[in-house]
Amino acid sequence: MFGYVNINKPELKVKEFYQYKAYYCGLCRTLRKNYGPIGQLTLSYDMTFLIILLTSLYECSTERKKSRCVVHPVRKQMILQNEITKYVADMNIALTYHHLRDDWQDEKSLAGLTGSGVLRSEYKKICKKYPRQCLGISEALDKLTECETNSETEIDYVSRCFGELMSELFIYRQDVWEDKLRKIGFYLGKFIYLLDAYDDICKDMKKGCYNPLIPMFSKESFDENCRDMLIRMMADCTGEFEKLPCLYDVTILRNILYEGVWTKFNKIQEDRKKEGK
Amino acid sequence: MTTNPYQVLGVSQNASNDEIKKAYRDLLKKYHPDSYVNNPLAGLAEEKFKEIQEAYDRIMKERESGYSGVGGSEFDSDEMKMVYNYINSGNNVEALKLLERIPLRSARWYYYSAIANAGAGNNVRAFDHARQAVNMEPTNTEYTNLLNQLEGQERRYQNNRYGGGYGNNGAGGFGAAGNGRGLGTGNLCCDLWCADSCCECMGGDLIPCL
Repeated sequence: MFGYVNINKPELKVKEFYQYKAYYCGLCRTLRKNYGPIGQLTLSYDMTFLIILLTSLYECSTERKKSRCVVHPVRKQMILQNEITKYVADMNIALTYHHLRDDWQDEKSLAGLTGSGVLRSEYKKICKKYPRQCLGISEALDKLTECETNSETEIDYVSRCFGELMSELFIYRQDVWEDKLRKIGFYLGKFIYLLDAYDDICKDMKKGCYNPLIPMFSKESFDENCRDMLIRMMADCTGEFEKLPCLYDVTILRNILYEGVWTKFNKIQEDRKKEGK
Repeated sequence: MTTNPYQVLGVSQNASNDEIKKAYRDLLKKYHPDSYVNNPLAGLAEEKFKEIQEAYDRIMKERESGYSGVGGSEFDSDEMKMVYNYINSGNNVEALKLLERIPLRSARWYYYSAIANAGAGNNVRAFDHARQAVNMEPTNTEYTNLLNQLEGQERRYQNNRYGGGYGNNGAGGFGAAGNGRGLGTGNLCCDLWCADSCCECMGGDLIPCL
């Protein structure tokens, strides 16, 4: 998807890093096995976070094995896979399908057309299995398109579309944790949307494209304002996360939520300073 | 439930959140309905199971630095009283709709709007309006309390961040930028392969070279 929900590697123990990597490789392998090389291309860090979160919450039995793959031909890799990996792989494909379809509609891009064509039949199967999530994705993206058409600049209003999308993906089962997972996904989704807008602002300004942050851009305090908003999102996201009884891999989860999510923001700021933005 | 939720979980009032979670997990396993199939104690275990869930929820709610309740005011207009009722019954969407229709934007209006927006997930606007209410009536403790609660959540987040190595304050001592570049190349497999194959202590240096 975007790769914003990342680890902060220097702060992780080696053991924890390998554990993270094993989940990541597990997702990669599941995508390849179920959806072929195209499926594998959709691999992202954001979704690895969701696997670790849901695995920790539901304490699912997870298969740990070592295997070789094309990307790592020399040494066997530790991989972790469970029912959540399958679920998240399906959600990843559903998201990518919509993403590519929108790409094609927006820019008539060939990549969008071919990608979504290949994934269409897979997407239909996923829809049957997870109708709530797929409906959530398409409704949220429709709302987002509407916001773009109307050049909506009310931050909460625009970013909530993506927040709602993530909410549906985070709710794996409709049980006692539904409400908390909904909020975690919601605020993390808003965070991702805003960070993406922050990332694109210079490009969008140049091209004259829609970006909800444009009215704020001329202000001296633009960077500060964006940072404050992003902190808000993570503060509310983690407020809910801390209420979940997650014990396994909780250091990895906290590493991502408290530090890792800022990796991209830091980089953007560094780059802009260099360019003298 | 009148019993002390801490007693139900067998932990002290001062237990850390993680200790509570551990106790909760252990008890759930002990009383899980699957372990009591065809057992005469099944009913009892189920009751206990529910009690544990309730105790856990209650503790987490109590420890939340959320809104400690909304105060109504006898000076509220009829419309504002309705807003207050909507908020109290958790109907934030209706509260917001009604607020939109009220032309007089008093400090109290901003206060209610902040609460309803926070409840509806509009956390950016909630913050702005809470601040606006305080600016208009700095001596009102209800308004300052609300703002403090919202800020408290941010403080908790900031305090929980270990390195504090992001942001513009130049505090980023651990090479956050280099790390960012490594993980952000978009070439995920390469990053991981590199990190994996190289000596751990050199990994951070090698990634940016890719």
